Amino acid sequence: MNCEQIERSLDAYVDREIDVDAAGAVREHLATCPSCRRRVAELEALGRLVRSVPPYPAPARLRAQLAQPRAARMKLPLSRMVTWAAAATVVLAVGAGFVVRRSSTSAADTMAEEVVSGHVRSLMANHLFDVESTDQHTVKPWFLGKLDFAPPVVDLAANGYPLLGGRLDYVDGRAVAALVYQRRKHTINVFIEPVQGGRRVAFEATSLRGFHLCHWTRDGMAFWAVSDLAAAELSEFARALQGN
Amino acid sequence: MAPRVFEETVLPHLDAAFNYARWLAKNEAEAEDVLQDACVRAVRFFQSLRGEDPRAWLLTIVRNTWYSRVSRRAASTETALDERNDERADDCLDPEEQLLQQHTIDRVRAAIAQLPVDYREVLVLRELEGLSYKEIAGVIGAPIGTVMSRLARARERLLGVLKLSPRETLR
Repeated sequence: MNCEQIERSLDAYVDREIDVDAAGAVREHLATCPSCRRRVAELEALGRLVRSVPPYPAPARLRAQLAQPRAARMKLPLSRMVTWAAAATVVLAVGAGFVVRRSSTSAADTMAEEVVSGHVRSLMANHLFDVESTDQHTVKPWFLGKLDFAPPVVDLAANGYPLLGGRLDYVDGRAVAALVYQRRKHTINVFIEPVQGGRRVAFEATSLRGFHLCHWTRDGMAFWAVSDLAAAELSEFARALQGN
Repeated sequence: MAPRVFEETVLPHLDAAFNYARWLAKNEAEAEDVLQDACVRAVRFFQSLRGEDPRAWLLTIVRNTWYSRVSRRAASTETALDERNDERADDCLDPEEQLLQQHTIDRVRAAIAQLPVDYREVLVLRELEGLSYKEIAGVIGAPIGTVMSRLARARERLLGVLKLSPRETLR
């Protein structure tokens, strides 16, 4: 191997992040190449220098605040936690009022409309993904900090429905998680949000404007799967997702 | 979830989380705000933490918190905060000051601070937090190849700026 090829793996070599064979090849090259040896020495020296910089420690005040029992933490004056808690309470109250005023059937119809619109929008606007990855371990953490809940993310490639990615979407004015799966040329959107107003659904399948929908709730989360896929296949997909 | 479990899981990584936030924000007060927000989120997402490494999990939340703050601000001021911070860092590395910065730590800190945030964070996660390439890829949500190329570029730039003395190289 020449210097150019070797140079590309020198960082990984210094970081001990290459496999044994590649490391052997690098060592072999280093034995005969003073310029790459100098490079390794530089990288190692730089590493020592950077690691000699002390990390910034978390302020004691913050640590003390977090180490308190949760109930006390919530009551701390000037703490943002209070603001968050208050905001959450308002949202809950508004949400509850909303559900009380409408019958559950019309709420479900509204959701079906919204979900189909969301699906169509995602296909038309060419905005299927905020995070494009077939790896559930990449997609799931992407939602961290963007939503106030953690949507379950599973890849169903083994069942013939590979995960393509995810994005933030809005349904009925609420931020929800949207996961995108594929079956041949068909796109499946799965919208996930916390169950609104305690409405539990074992499994419902409907159709709207030529699209098929499956809806269910599980572990406090509400799921809507929507696609132009045949109803039977979408149900199979939904069962596979439920099974995970 | 028992409150104690949250504290036992997350508090040990508070310094790591703060250090990362501090290097992202390049500002003590901002880093405190980011960490506080991140911890509120961590409490709420705690149930979603299953098999993952809690440190990498917390760092991911810190990063997402920081970026959502930056994008919020960018939307309202139309100036990416990070760009402004990076300019400020460039200022503090002007030749005259560089001469005055005798102290090694200050010199290295300033050099890291002037790296673009994408390079800076992989360097900090690798050298100061000791994360593996794979863990870094998880935290920043990018492939390992991206981690490697950013790390290499970060070091390239640092070597250019720091101009290691022969004594430092041979140590």
